[in-house]
Amino acid sequence: MKMQIEGETLRVSDLKELGTANSNEFRDQARAALSPLQRNIEVDLSQTTFIDSCGLGALISLHKTACSRNGMVRLVNPTPGVQQILELTRMHRIFEIVRN
Amino acid sequence: MPDQPAAPSRPSVLRLSPACDLGEVRVAVQTAHGFLAREGWSDDDLTSFDLALVEACNNAVKYSGPSGRNQPVGLEIISEPGGVEFRIHDHTPGFDWPEKVKLPPPDSERGRGLYLITTLMDSARYYRGRDGNLLIMRKSRLVAAQSKPTVATEAAANPDRRLAEDERVIGEMVEELSSCYESLAAIFRYSAEQGRGGDPAEFARRMLRDLLLIVEGGWFVLRLVPKGESRLVVLVASDALELPPLLFPASGHAPDSAELEAALTRKRVWFGIQQAPHAKGPLGKQRPGSVGVVHPIVLGDQLIGTLAVGRQPRPRQSSADNDLAFTAGQMNVIATFGDFLAIQIANAHFQEEQFRQRLMTHELEIANKIQRSLLLGDLPQVRGFRLAGFCRSAREVGGDFYDVLTINEHSVLLIIADVMGKGIPAALFAASLRTLLRAAPELTGRPGALLSRVNSLLFPELSGVDMFITAQLACLDADARRITLASAGHCPVAVADRGVVRTFAPEGMPLGVVADTQYHEESVELPPDCTALLYTDGLTEARNARGEQFGDQRLMEWLARAAGTGRGPEALKEELALELARHQANTVLNDDQTFLIVSG
Repeated sequence: MKMQIEGETLRVSDLKELGTANSNEFRDQARAALSPLQRNIEVDLSQTTFIDSCGLGALISLHKTACSRNGMVRLVNPTPGVQQILELTRMHRIFEIVRN
Repeated sequence: MPDQPAAPSRPSVLRLSPACDLGEVRVAVQTAHGFLAREGWSDDDLTSFDLALVEACNNAVKYSGPSGRNQPVGLEIISEPGGVEFRIHDHTPGFDWPEKVKLPPPDSERGRGLYLITTLMDSARYYRGRDGNLLIMRKSRLVAAQSKPTVATEAAANPDRRLAEDERVIGEMVEELSSCYESLAAIFRYSAEQGRGGDPAEFARRMLRDLLLIVEGGWFVLRLVPKGESRLVVLVASDALELPPLLFPASGHAPDSAELEAALTRKRVWFGIQQAPHAKGPLGKQRPGSVGVVHPIVLGDQLIGTLAVGRQPRPRQSSADNDLAFTAGQMNVIATFGDFLAIQIANAHFQEEQFRQRLMTHELEIANKIQRSLLLGDLPQVRGFRLAGFCRSAREVGGDFYDVLTINEHSVLLIIADVMGKGIPAALFAASLRTLLRAAPELTGRPGALLSRVNSLLFPELSGVDMFITAQLACLDADARRITLASAGHCPVAVADRGVVRTFAPEGMPLGVVADTQYHEESVELPPDCTALLYTDGLTEARNARGEQFGDQRLMEWLARAAGTGRGPEALKEELALELARHQANTVLNDDQTFLIVSG
């Protein structure tokens, strides 16, 4: 998992999975990486082949954090499997999904 | 360790027992992934299975109590060509599986696991036990194969469309279920009426009125094919319309009539606006603008009739509406009612047939009684001689008969006759002949002249139906101890005297063969203490179980032997009847048997 700060945005990438085993770590590390300057979080899901309900919970948690900073969470290039889960759980309505 | 892969037609089973640990169950899910990939499941399916299994196993780990943590999670995967079943044994306190699993509010960080399981699987059931609980999840391969492209492509483009599609499918299922229920309820209701008799048309009318209510139909026409006919005749219609019968065309094609087409093809025929040719047919003329269906009513391979149900077209509510007048569920109800009616109608026909059969049997019994009453109970006797007669018919009524007419105090006319064939036609001619013979008392002493007379009277009727009668008349003069014979092609008269049997057979054509026939007479002197036998060929031609005839020789030998015993004609009659019965043991009587015995 990689974290990178670009202006107001925290970019998280290189996520193979976002499941029970690592979702807490993902959430906590992302929060820790945020300085008062960042209000947006961008999660690159192009390498993520698996996401479960805990992973979704972590994304919601970050969404709340971003909202509290008047920012947003952007999901970038989700793999088809992850996209499917996001749609099944209607989360594509909450997050901005970006395809580059 | 996974089991060895089984033969393709048998289920393959994988059993795993990961420790109660999130990392361990994740590894187990990956093992399951490999197993199911080898079973030929698609990548999309495998993604769904991974997620559902992870959700289920994670719950089994996260909610395990202190004792549960020491026990492994049980994981059993049964893969078959038609689908897969997952069994997850947990050791948690368990929970109440919600009746309807809902998606939690968007900002909730938890509660999506069960939703994912129920959405990704065809079914999920949770069974709570004392020492553990069992979650069973199932997915059908066919459904999976069909649904996946929808999820991957259409749903990506428009997820609401999938929801709408699901709702539509569920709606159709509910409609089909309720239509099944309504069909069943109606059939139970009408089954209760079964056997009460009544008018089948009225029964069908009431039933079909109910059908209109259930399927929201406007009208119906039930036509039947009368037995042995090739046309459709209206039994009942929802209102009083003059509907002429529809004749099956010789060509076998009926482009204008939906009803005939359904009858000829034995396939369901839809009619309506789109089916323009039918608009010219009878239904189109009587029900302009109607849409509907004609359901052929078939039982086994027999066409019973057609059931047409229609209504005015409804405005199309959406592009998804098809042009058919009835939904699949409604069509099921129509077909079920049609099939049920077919059974009722066939039953009614069968009962009618049975009633007719009973009536016929009853009438034949009456005819048999009448015919028996025509055979004299007590034969007229003439001094110095004793008479006995026997007549047994192969059917209820027969064509054989005997009669004895008194001529004067010392003479009687013995008559024995055999009408060709058996049954009612033979019995009718036997009755006619008997009456005609009795109607000419001036000729009873002249058997030849009497035969000529009845032949000329019966000839037109007999030759008209290609039938004939053989008859033997014997005028017995007791004082002269002489019989005067005349025969119309009948068996000879046998006379036994002291162990010797002589037969006498004057020539003569059977009655009904030649219009004007003269019958010669022959006189036979009767020695004292002789026995004469007049009989029909039913005696000599009686066959035993091996197919052997009783035969002339056996009859004559019996007569020679029996006549010498000095027993009277009644006893001889019983004995001959017994001889014949013995000969025909284990067979069915196939011809009438009649004889007269004269002793004196």
